Amino acid sequence: MYNSPFLRQKASVRRVMVTVLVAMLPAIAVQVWLFGIGLLLQLAIASAVALACEAGMLALRRRPVARALGDGSALVTAWLIAVCLPPLLPWWMIVLGTAFAIVIGKHLYGGLGQNPFNPAMLAYCVLIVSFPALMSQWPGLHGGDAAAQLHWIAGGERTLDAMTGATPLDALRTGLHGGGEVASVMQSAAVGPAFGHVAGAGWEWVALAWAAGGLLLLAMRIITWHIPVAFLGTLAAIAGLASAIDGAHFAGPAFHLLAGGSMLGAFFIATDPVSGATTPRGKLIFAAGIALIAWLIRSFGAYPDGIAFAVLLMNICVPLIDQKTQPPVFGHKLGKPDGGAK
Amino acid sequence: MSDATPDTQPGDVPAQALPPAPGAAGTAMRSAVLLGLFTVAFTALMAVTYEAAREPIRLSVEARRLELIGQVLPPADYDNALLEDTVQLPALGALGIDGPVTLHRARRAGEPVALVFEAQAPDGYSGAIRLLIALRASGEVAGVRVIAHRETPGLGDYIDPAKDRANPPWITQFAGRDTSPATRWKVRKDGGDFAYMSGATISARAVVHAVGRAAAAIAPARDALFGLPAGAAADEAFKTSPAAPDAHGDASRSTPQ
Amino acid sequence: MNPEERAALGDIGRKGLWENNTALVQLLGMCPLLAVSTSFVNAVSLSLATVLVMALSGGVVAALRTLIPHEIRIPVFILIIAALVTCLDLAFNAWLHELYLVLGIFIPLIVTNCIVLARVEAFAAKNSPLAATWDGAAMGLGLLWVLALLGSARELIGSGTLFSGIQMILPGAHPLQLLGEDYRGLLIAILPPGAFILLGLLIATRNAWMAHVAKVRAAAPHAPTDVASA
Repeated sequence: MYNSPFLRQKASVRRVMVTVLVAMLPAIAVQVWLFGIGLLLQLAIASAVALACEAGMLALRRRPVARALGDGSALVTAWLIAVCLPPLLPWWMIVLGTAFAIVIGKHLYGGLGQNPFNPAMLAYCVLIVSFPALMSQWPGLHGGDAAAQLHWIAGGERTLDAMTGATPLDALRTGLHGGGEVASVMQSAAVGPAFGHVAGAGWEWVALAWAAGGLLLLAMRIITWHIPVAFLGTLAAIAGLASAIDGAHFAGPAFHLLAGGSMLGAFFIATDPVSGATTPRGKLIFAAGIALIAWLIRSFGAYPDGIAFAVLLMNICVPLIDQKTQPPVFGHKLGKPDGGAK
Repeated sequence: MSDATPDTQPGDVPAQALPPAPGAAGTAMRSAVLLGLFTVAFTALMAVTYEAAREPIRLSVEARRLELIGQVLPPADYDNALLEDTVQLPALGALGIDGPVTLHRARRAGEPVALVFEAQAPDGYSGAIRLLIALRASGEVAGVRVIAHRETPGLGDYIDPAKDRANPPWITQFAGRDTSPATRWKVRKDGGDFAYMSGATISARAVVHAVGRAAAAIAPARDALFGLPAGAAADEAFKTSPAAPDAHGDASRSTPQ
Repeated sequence: MNPEERAALGDIGRKGLWENNTALVQLLGMCPLLAVSTSFVNAVSLSLATVLVMALSGGVVAALRTLIPHEIRIPVFILIIAALVTCLDLAFNAWLHELYLVLGIFIPLIVTNCIVLARVEAFAAKNSPLAATWDGAAMGLGLLWVLALLGSARELIGSGTLFSGIQMILPGAHPLQLLGEDYRGLLIAILPPGAFILLGLLIATRNAWMAHVAKVRAAAPHAPTDVASA
């Protein structure tokens, strides 16, 4: 992953991580604008817990604490967790998720560079499996004043329906299950303003902000084009095919690309250099697999979004993908392995 | 284990204790006979256990059945042998179950008290939800329990009181609902009378609709059902009664919560 | 019983309960046990059933080992194990009916638990009935204490209770609500991933302990054991 000389490695990790954090800022701004300031508090909580857990685990493992803390990787994990969770979760949930990601997801596997699973997605999955009801409560657009939001995060009594609205993915799935069809569900007043536009009023702005941050990462050469293009292309192709065959029961590609965590997943999560595939062809297969599984879970599953599960499932396949897609050594021709290899 | 020749025994049996070493065919024959003997011996063991356990199993199954019915209808409310006082319902679309359904009739001092039967909600989030329903002779619901379901843990499984953290459990709101058109058998989100948990409407909706359908189908026939001799088939009771009213039909009057 | 035999039996017990622990070292037959270790009562019940099957099948096979022809030993072993499990299944159905409904398919599945056949083939077929019965019981008990720990942890984290369902075995007993009525329950502990995560942590704890013991022994060659044997 990192080139020699190794003296530059720490600085390089730090540069990468800081760039990623900067690239997340536009989307964070849009989410705060749409859903309220709760997200800022969640970011602060997640960052503090991530740094504390990172320091604690490094000390336990007798590694230099200051240098590893300074690389910013724990902060990136923390921020990714905070932005993909509903912003009004009670504080102990984000503490639990972040601590699980850093302690079990990262350090028990050997720390930065060794973890087979994306730590942020592990946190998301632990929380969604454990608290599916809370995890599907997103605040309505511009819903609730700051004081009420902070009250919720502090663990205050939650008045259901007062401030929450279903995400577009959730509303669509519930509507389809109730016997509706895509077009009617999307226009139905019963699901509220969630379907004002392509993927729910506001949600497309979140998606576009993530895409903008992703383009910055591409321009800065932090990530390569393979994973975003393969992920979004496959997702669009499958969604397009399914909605062409049965438009009443499957949403189209525009919806899938702009709803839920598609853009966040394409540019910031699937591109994790540690838990993702590393060869160029491998990246294409890895990302296409995530898109396929995510679409399947969204279309037939029970949980609000499928990206996290899809990423973890494809993380498991990474060693196999990398092994099978190793580029041939220079000087050897493809398809003509020499000597004993069969 | 050592690489034993075909007719050597594992363990410490001296060779001369065995019959004279036979040929390959003899070995196979001897093995077959021994395997047969072992099979007979252990099948006999199982048969003896089965005989000994048969009566206790029957009693356990009955006790379990009564215990389950006790959750929807207090045992103090009836004094007849509920498990024997049954009629066979034909396959009714309103119950959602393929094939006949056994309906138990509870009586107290000979007077009709309640009907207990199973129904199924076909449209749960992850497949069918099996229900046990008790319907009082007055026409109101005595109680409902979910017998089997596959709803998402932590989300839709609150329909099962064992998994429900609310107090009183969600499922208890069925008790006392009558089957007149006054009850709107829908969740509040759809303009009905029944509470649900935000984010998991589908499970609640499926159960409410299924109970409404089943109650609406059985209630008009309840006098006829109580009148049948025990063990009879109840097809006639449903031919004479008018078609079951639509459980989803809107009612003009609302019931206060 | 002479001291040598007693030492041999002690050795069998130590191997079953700790050194060759089924759940922590051999990792055999974990599928049904992970599936039912969602609560202390479920885990201990199925473990006890497994202990019973292992002890009985060990004893029966050891007693009959001179009669069982070598080349058909596997079918005969399976026959013996299956017959014992069937009897146990019927007994659960008759006398512990509620528990039988909870454990369901997993009681019959003890037949396919590879640890049972493994001990019968590796130990009972070559040893005396007493040693084989004790070996089966010790291996099963090794499984039992790990599963009891796992079941307690999953139940406590997952729902905040301990001993829920105890009234199925001891009528009148009550489960403990340890973490308060308001505890929401970390559901993942009860779902399958929780079983793997917690079992992994248990194995890691055992390995860390063994590494620690090895280090202490290496650092202090004149450990008390040496003094005692000197």
